[in-house]
Amino acid sequence: MTATRSRPAAPLPADVEPIAAEPPAERRDRTGPLSTLRGRATLAFTVVTLVLSAALAVAVWVAVSQYLLLQRERSTLIQTSNNAAQVQRALGTEGLTVPQLLAQLPRETGSISLYVDDGQWGTTSLLVGRDDIPTGLAETVVEGTPARQRIGVQGTTMMAVGIPLAGLDQAYFEVFPLDELDRTYRVLATVLTLAVVGMGPLSFTVGWWVTGPALRPLQRIATAAEAIAGGDLSARIDPRGDPSLVPIASSFNRTVTDLEARVRADARFAADVSHELRSPLTAMLGAVDLVEATADRLPPDGREGLALLRSEVHRFERLVADLLEISRADAGNADLVVEEIRLAALVEETLARRRLAGRPTARLEVRATAAEVVIHADKRRLERVLSNLMDNADKHGGGLTAVTVARGEDSACVLVDDDGPGIPPEERARIFDRFARGGGSIRTRTEGAGLGLALVARHVQAMGGTVTVGESPSGGARFVVELPLQALS
Amino acid sequence: MRVGRLSDVPRSVLIIEDDPRIRRILQMTLQREGLDAVEADSGETGLERLAERDFDVILLDLMLPGKDGFEVCREIRRTSNVPIIMVTARGDSHDVVAGLEAGADDYVSKPFVAKELSARIRALARRTRAPQPRVRIEVGDLEIAPQDGTVTRAGEPVNLTRTEFKLLCELATEPGRVLSREELLERVWGYDYFGDSRLVDVHVRRLRKKVEEDPGHPTVVTTVRGMGYRVPG
Repeated sequence: MTATRSRPAAPLPADVEPIAAEPPAERRDRTGPLSTLRGRATLAFTVVTLVLSAALAVAVWVAVSQYLLLQRERSTLIQTSNNAAQVQRALGTEGLTVPQLLAQLPRETGSISLYVDDGQWGTTSLLVGRDDIPTGLAETVVEGTPARQRIGVQGTTMMAVGIPLAGLDQAYFEVFPLDELDRTYRVLATVLTLAVVGMGPLSFTVGWWVTGPALRPLQRIATAAEAIAGGDLSARIDPRGDPSLVPIASSFNRTVTDLEARVRADARFAADVSHELRSPLTAMLGAVDLVEATADRLPPDGREGLALLRSEVHRFERLVADLLEISRADAGNADLVVEEIRLAALVEETLARRRLAGRPTARLEVRATAAEVVIHADKRRLERVLSNLMDNADKHGGGLTAVTVARGEDSACVLVDDDGPGIPPEERARIFDRFARGGGSIRTRTEGAGLGLALVARHVQAMGGTVTVGESPSGGARFVVELPLQALS
Repeated sequence: MRVGRLSDVPRSVLIIEDDPRIRRILQMTLQREGLDAVEADSGETGLERLAERDFDVILLDLMLPGKDGFEVCREIRRTSNVPIIMVTARGDSHDVVAGLEAGADDYVSKPFVAKELSARIRALARRTRAPQPRVRIEVGDLEIAPQDGTVTRAGEPVNLTRTEFKLLCELATEPGRVLSREELLERVWGYDYFGDSRLVDVHVRRLRKKVEEDPGHPTVVTTVRGMGYRVPG
């Protein structure tokens, strides 16, 4: 027996990398969430929301700060005017000194009163004196024009308001601290900034949440299209529950129905043709056998002709059998018989049969994790897949070198390696097409119906798996059949 | 009830096939193998021939004009246990199972090679392997006499086809041992490799209908999941 099974404890050979390291190329998803339509729509939504909310915040800032300032100015002016009037009145009566008078004035917390009479200044606070009132402002007011100005007193901003009094060179000033207003500005600025910043994640979330349902119809179309591209021609879009989907769904479904009918017609034609060929072929095979029984009575060239006829009829038979099988597979999966199969045992059995039939076999390696793995598959199809891949390795790949059974995350794999020159990357997708024999010079010389690998692809697909081709450690081709562990629905 | 002659070498074959060319080729091929091959071009003619004389094996095409192969098969089974090989369209899973359910013992698919067919015919006509003469095997209330080719249940004869009988004997001579489908294919049908395990499954189903008290809960021939079948020891 040449097939060996690795013991569970045996280390993996260095030249075989774990299967998880090579997922099928086309399944690899290189796109992040932001390159999807939904991601882009959400991003656009977020940007627009951010710009709008920033603009709104600026507008609010300008309006509110202007309004607050205006209010402040108005209230300071009113208070100053009232107090100036009171000072004016008090000056006419006897009894109170100027400092006493100033101290009695009703005023807002923190405001400071100053009084000037012919260059003599009085103040209610030591913090603010005549030096703090700008000369320009003082002069303007003393000369008879009420005025106000922002001033800086020991690092804080204040508002100085001056009202001229009736007497010559008399004026009343009141200085209001503006730090209260500044604090309000700061709070407002903080609140607005936070609002704008917080808007980002919020609008992204809302955008994501809203675009989901909005793009769901598109998602359904994409799912259906993907299923069809994957070979499931029965996939349709169900427009129920989404009126916006009805027009596109009906035209999509109509197109797919037409396509399905054409594909079925093609498949039926191929099936009918090969079906019709079976009876004459049976008669031919029988007739060749009959003639062969009397071959020793034929002249040498007659014998050679018979040998040629025989090999061609057998080739024809295999071709018709393959054609029949593939067209039947195309017509549907009605005869799919899914059962529990121990993959390693089946592969071993297939190799043993080849040995019995005198065909070349190869080393079988069963990875420790895959020894007992049970899959749900159609045994006949899976056997066909394995023997076709092995035949392919023999016919086109310079001989089978290794067969490996491995286990992926939720799948089981069979790797079939050959000793040929390998298959160039640009031909790897085409190799599973019908009657595709690698381009170039590699495969054209050898005989082959060109249906073996197409059948492999068809059967593997019917069982919910994938088949890909890559490079074996020795540089030959490596076919990887990946089958799901879960049963097909 | 007539039973085909029990002989190691089959002597006569009835070919029920509507395609004259295939019929002719088959007849010539089988005759070369030393068989007495009789032709019938339809199911009706075939049944007439069968009424006239016995055959060792019947070759039955499923696609026949008029009475189709399944119907012919069921009708033969009403009166005879003669081995039947059906000829089906290749890979037509449905036909294969339906044909076996109708009572066929084995099948070949078109296009087939004549050698394959004669191998099938010889395997079917072969006598059961009976180790010792005059041995009787008892399984529950079943009594099997391999030499006589008879099975009785509580004294009443049970009517089995040749293949069903061979299958039961293989399992019953090694009670307690699980025989895989592949082993059974080799022992009963003579397949070296690449046999169709549905042959075994359908025959076990047919056998159970005849020998089990409740075929839904078999006790004579039990299934060992994922391994095969056995007669409990």
